[in-house]
Amino acid sequence: MCGIAGVIYHSLEYYRHLGSDLLSLIEPLESRGPDSCGVGLYGKAEQPSLFKVLLLAEGNIPWQEVKQSLSQLTEVVKFEDIGTGCRAVLRSEDDNCLNFLELRTELARSFPGLHLLSMGQQLEIYKEIGAANHLFGKYNLKGFAGTHGIAHTRMATESVVDTCHSHPFTSAQDLCIVHNGQISNYYKLRFALERQGVIFETNNDSEAIAHYLRYQLVQGKSLEAALNSLLNDFDGTYTFLVATSDKVGLVRDKFAAKPAVIYESAEIVAIASEYRCLLNLSEFDSQATIREPDAGEVNIWRAKTATCNSNY
Amino acid sequence: MQQQLLEKIVLDCTSLSTREINQRLKALASEGVSSHVELLNPNGRHNLAVGIEYPINIRFTGPVGYYCGGLSDGPNITVSGSCGWSVGENLMSGEIVVHGNASANAAASAHGGKVCILGNAGPRAGISLKGGALIVTGNIGYGSAFMMQQGCLIVCGDAGANLADSIYDGEIYVGGNVSSLGADAKFEPLSSADWQRLEQELSPLSLAPQTYNFKKIVCAEQLYNFKAKDWSKWKDAY
Repeated sequence: MCGIAGVIYHSLEYYRHLGSDLLSLIEPLESRGPDSCGVGLYGKAEQPSLFKVLLLAEGNIPWQEVKQSLSQLTEVVKFEDIGTGCRAVLRSEDDNCLNFLELRTELARSFPGLHLLSMGQQLEIYKEIGAANHLFGKYNLKGFAGTHGIAHTRMATESVVDTCHSHPFTSAQDLCIVHNGQISNYYKLRFALERQGVIFETNNDSEAIAHYLRYQLVQGKSLEAALNSLLNDFDGTYTFLVATSDKVGLVRDKFAAKPAVIYESAEIVAIASEYRCLLNLSEFDSQATIREPDAGEVNIWRAKTATCNSNY
Repeated sequence: MQQQLLEKIVLDCTSLSTREINQRLKALASEGVSSHVELLNPNGRHNLAVGIEYPINIRFTGPVGYYCGGLSDGPNITVSGSCGWSVGENLMSGEIVVHGNASANAAASAHGGKVCILGNAGPRAGISLKGGALIVTGNIGYGSAFMMQQGCLIVCGDAGANLADSIYDGEIYVGGNVSSLGADAKFEPLSSADWQRLEQELSPLSLAPQTYNFKKIVCAEQLYNFKAKDWSKWKDAY
């Protein structure tokens, strides 16, 4: 058992609720698994050619050397300390010169114990072992404003409990997933993806979903086509959420083994593993549509992109 | 002094833990109170009214979570709202009526009594049903009546794929479309006794069985004994 939750706002006035809504959705789900908590938040987009980068350290990391090392790759616009990690903004005029997977490999090679948690114009991932409330307090996420986000609370079944093995998993700029379930053909999928050059960072089966989707999207497939081919290629039990810069997708396996409840009103779409969480939404409306996805159902919601000039 | 009989006992779930609620319900049930017990603000909480072993009338004024009324023997439970997974799981006797939708595993493994969903039920409705009746006025989801062993499942709407997979015994009636049948399940014509049974079960819900195109599904009994020549059937039945 794990808990997953997501929220998408259609109306600007709710953007400032993103952090607090996600916390109120995910916190009750700790009863499904208290091992770790994580969120993928889509805030205001940086200016074109700027990227937010979240770094996390295990042990002592010489941050000035990290900054220097990054400066050799690209221009470092901002570099701020956030507890056990660091949040940086990098400039990359050409998309090709900064690539998530390459940057992650590069940093891990130069600084063992340093992890690239996320990279994107909007996406920021925060995760750690322990309670949701602690995570949100530590990084001051309750006031985080944004257009959409996903969250996870974990009951580890197949791999170790540490920050790297926590959800969300990411594999590209502005792409992340949270998953509840087990992928039973994980080793085959991992082998196939590794033959395509993908480097896995963890032994968590959920990481395969993120890499698979990136691979499909890079081939030019739409998110919908990628999710439909995933339904064919992935065996096992899964209900997962995937978020990109402008979309959130929900996929339920063809046995409908893992739960999800969808709440849809004119202003907000929220998804949670259990109904009771939805009651905690600050704008809960009992007249809104509440339903469960069917077996093998793919849902995709479009999220707005808040530009750096949006006021909220 | 003559004890005043209350018409209704009201408990607010907000101020009570789940254990306190169930202990109160068990105590009231074992005392044999004839009053209705009304539970306010269940707010989708799990494990409510679980293990109630005596007759008692319970009403939840809102949606409940997982396992509502599970492991019970004799209570009469009404839910004014939807319910989560496994409502009436392992029910021995009594009746649970849900005025809303049910999530997965409605009446899972129930040995007796009746579970009535006045709405849709999710995947695996009536899984491993061992007796009693599950009535769903809407649709049921994927893999319903999986490994059903006894009892009766009546669905007025449509049934999802793989209905009655690996069924041992019992009767299933579907008023709408059946997406597909699972291994060792077959359609059978309805007898007049079947229509009578449908009439008996549905008329209290103000539903007329004749207005639906009911189909009956039972066990084909092809997998009761292993025969080497049936290898492919066994292989396909997982």
